[in-house]
Amino acid sequence: MVSASPLLALRHIAKRYPNGTQALVDASLEIHAGAVHGLLGANGAGKSTLIAILSGATAATQGEIVWQGQPVRWRRPADARRSGVSTLYQHIPLVPTLSALENILLDAPGWQRHDRDQRARARAVVAQLGDPFALDALVAHLPISARQMVGIAQSLLGGAQVLVMDEPTASLGASDRAAVYDVVRRLAYQEGKAIVFVSHFLDEILALTDHVTILRDGCDVLHRATGDLDEASLAATISGRDVAMLARRQRQVGTEVRLAVRDLASPAGLSPTTFDLRAGEILGIAGMLGAGRSELLHAVFGADPQARGQVLVDGVPVVAETGAAVAAGLALVPEDRKRQGFVAGFSIADNIALPGTGWRIDRAAERQRADHAIATLGIKADDAQRPVGTLSGGNAQKVVLAKWLTPQTRVLLLDEPTAGIDIGARIDILEQVRRLADQGLAVVLVSSDFAELLALSDRILVMRDGAVVACADPARTSEIDLTLLASGTAPPCDGAPA
Amino acid sequence: MIASSPWRQSLGLRQAGVFYALLVLLGILAALAASRGLPPYLAPSNLGNIAYQASLVGIMAVAMTVMLITGAFDLSVASVAALAAAVLVGLAGQIGFVPALGCALCTAAMVGIFNGVIVELVGINAFIVTLGTLTAVRGLVLVVTDGRSLMVEDPQVLAQMLAFESTRVPLFWALLVLGAVALGLATLRRAWGIALAGAALLGLAAVLGRGFTVAAPVVYLIAFTAAAWFVMERTVMGRRLQAVGGNAEAARLSGIDVRAYRIGAFVLSSLAAGFAGCLFGCRLGAINPTAMQGAELTVIAAAILGGTSLYGGAGSVIKTVAGALILFTLTNGFNILNLGANYQGIIEGAVIIIAAAIYTLGNRKRGETR
Repeated sequence: MVSASPLLALRHIAKRYPNGTQALVDASLEIHAGAVHGLLGANGAGKSTLIAILSGATAATQGEIVWQGQPVRWRRPADARRSGVSTLYQHIPLVPTLSALENILLDAPGWQRHDRDQRARARAVVAQLGDPFALDALVAHLPISARQMVGIAQSLLGGAQVLVMDEPTASLGASDRAAVYDVVRRLAYQEGKAIVFVSHFLDEILALTDHVTILRDGCDVLHRATGDLDEASLAATISGRDVAMLARRQRQVGTEVRLAVRDLASPAGLSPTTFDLRAGEILGIAGMLGAGRSELLHAVFGADPQARGQVLVDGVPVVAETGAAVAAGLALVPEDRKRQGFVAGFSIADNIALPGTGWRIDRAAERQRADHAIATLGIKADDAQRPVGTLSGGNAQKVVLAKWLTPQTRVLLLDEPTAGIDIGARIDILEQVRRLADQGLAVVLVSSDFAELLALSDRILVMRDGAVVACADPARTSEIDLTLLASGTAPPCDGAPA
Repeated sequence: MIASSPWRQSLGLRQAGVFYALLVLLGILAALAASRGLPPYLAPSNLGNIAYQASLVGIMAVAMTVMLITGAFDLSVASVAALAAAVLVGLAGQIGFVPALGCALCTAAMVGIFNGVIVELVGINAFIVTLGTLTAVRGLVLVVTDGRSLMVEDPQVLAQMLAFESTRVPLFWALLVLGAVALGLATLRRAWGIALAGAALLGLAAVLGRGFTVAAPVVYLIAFTAAAWFVMERTVMGRRLQAVGGNAEAARLSGIDVRAYRIGAFVLSSLAAGFAGCLFGCRLGAINPTAMQGAELTVIAAAILGGTSLYGGAGSVIKTVAGALILFTLTNGFNILNLGANYQGIIEGAVIIIAAAIYTLGNRKRGETR
């Protein structure tokens, strides 16, 4: 299938931003028609910059771009799109108040709003994708997975030959992911498009792609056919060091019940849930996206005003309100860092001090706390006064975690703490969580990464459709078992907890 | 990376531009006055006059800045000020000045609570709600005054009101002491910003001279600004207010009662407007129902000139006061120099847009999106 000469080649690309950041040092990439090309790299390795250069959003400072054998210079995203390179970002810019069809035709030529020919062409393209959405549905009413398909259809109608997909599966559940894989394969192998697939998930890179390029510190460090690779070698190349995934360790768990949840339910998507959590225990919550995991944590934290039921910390009922929850020693690291976790314009020190009470601000003490967090959590920042909005995802997440590292915190609720974070930072965070639990903190850990759950948890609750459906012992459960339990293809094993 | 040091950054155009603009404007007007053979524009009496003219809008603008920092908006301030003035003037003759002042402020606070509760608990956009109260409260003023001017008849009460508004306060020694204290603090802590402020205060004292006095509203403005600055910059409450505007969801999930802070900002805004309205009522001992109409736009303009973000999360009350001073220096300059009042609107509008452009471009250069 793969043609001999590349459709698009980036040769020795370097990029230095005006502020002095050297995002790319020397990166090359060859993309062939009819193939899926995986692009991997830790946060800050230069993936985003390379994508920006591919899409014409920014210009390289050195190196050349060769499109179908001809050197080209793209100054604007429109230049790249006109050539046939279309980039789909994780958050697709669509107009929610227009229909899917009108979004697809947004950059189509002509003056007529409802053009029958264009509609027919759009219909044909959408049929190629397997009709994942109704043409006249409002985009605001479509699920995220369908919105991605709208974005893809828009690219195809614009004549795209190369589709750059930036973490298309990061915010999708398992079945939606499978649909994306289907479309990617169909586009590559039936339509002969070239796909650049960027992802943090090693398993999907292995399953989906034909070739892999790995970036590290602004350089391409590996070009290889996917068949010659496995997860361990990918992980080692990405991080530049041999990382054994966190090994499971038998832990000593306290006896006193720290957190008691009684018949907690919410119309937001949580059936009555009851469980206990002991001091020093790490309770894993497994489940697919939309299984009610975040809803459970939000209800426990008092962030869901509609929730009913009881939450007790050390036997004392907690009023369902975030301020009372913090005062009782509950702490939540939310799923969506940027939207829920930190104030982008605030410095590291200010973000860490945000839940603080009292009335005077003690700058010196806050600075000291921030410096301590930077040192112990390995936050890569030159200064505690740096705005958190300028940090990479992993470092920002460490700041959100550091916010709660006070003597007051007794129960730590972690909602996907490692999502979208490179392996180095991920292990830093998980080790820190384990240390905190060893010191007596009770931890609830929600994660889509079941390997992570199995390595860290003392007990795992499996959720499906807003309810806890099983309780698993991580020492006697495999990733496959958990997946089967969570996706509803296996009967509950030990039965739901009392 | 930000290349320049924090020290150079804090004196840069983005950070201190509004102060430079004020100085440049004063310089231009002084030069114009000198070239036309008019009395010196920078005479202490005229500077005190500008501050006096800016004081009412300044007080409202400081509270508006806090409001904008929390990410909300209040269009109703001028109407609330007029209502408070009407309540004060209407009641003072019967129940005395101080009780009437209390009633006026309570009335203003009620409007603030109403605004805040509707915006936060019902969830209607603040722009729409306060546009509604802007109109309705002005209507209420008409009802209260029956469409006529009210005035205080009792000479004793009138004297009290005039004393509250027009007492001249000597500032020379206050400036000197404050400047010296700031310089002392600066040497102790090696803080450049405080040293600069101290030097500026001492310089101001030297320029204005020993006989310098200002009207009481200027002192109220200074005191209110200082208190607001302290709360915003040095207290946990200030950080929380800023976090509410910077990222309300992150603030809520950090245990901050976002609604309470926002409603509090509405109450503060209305209280400040009520106080400004009372000062306005005291100035003449009378109020007419159209008093201060349109002042809300000047108030918001002052906050924007001071670099307050309409998206919330950023702003400085001191720069807002500088913004108010710029607007009133322009008005004052046009009057004194007789520059043709017809052009005043054009110049003021241009100044506002240019300022906003400088802030936006400055932010873009630093790689921020807004």
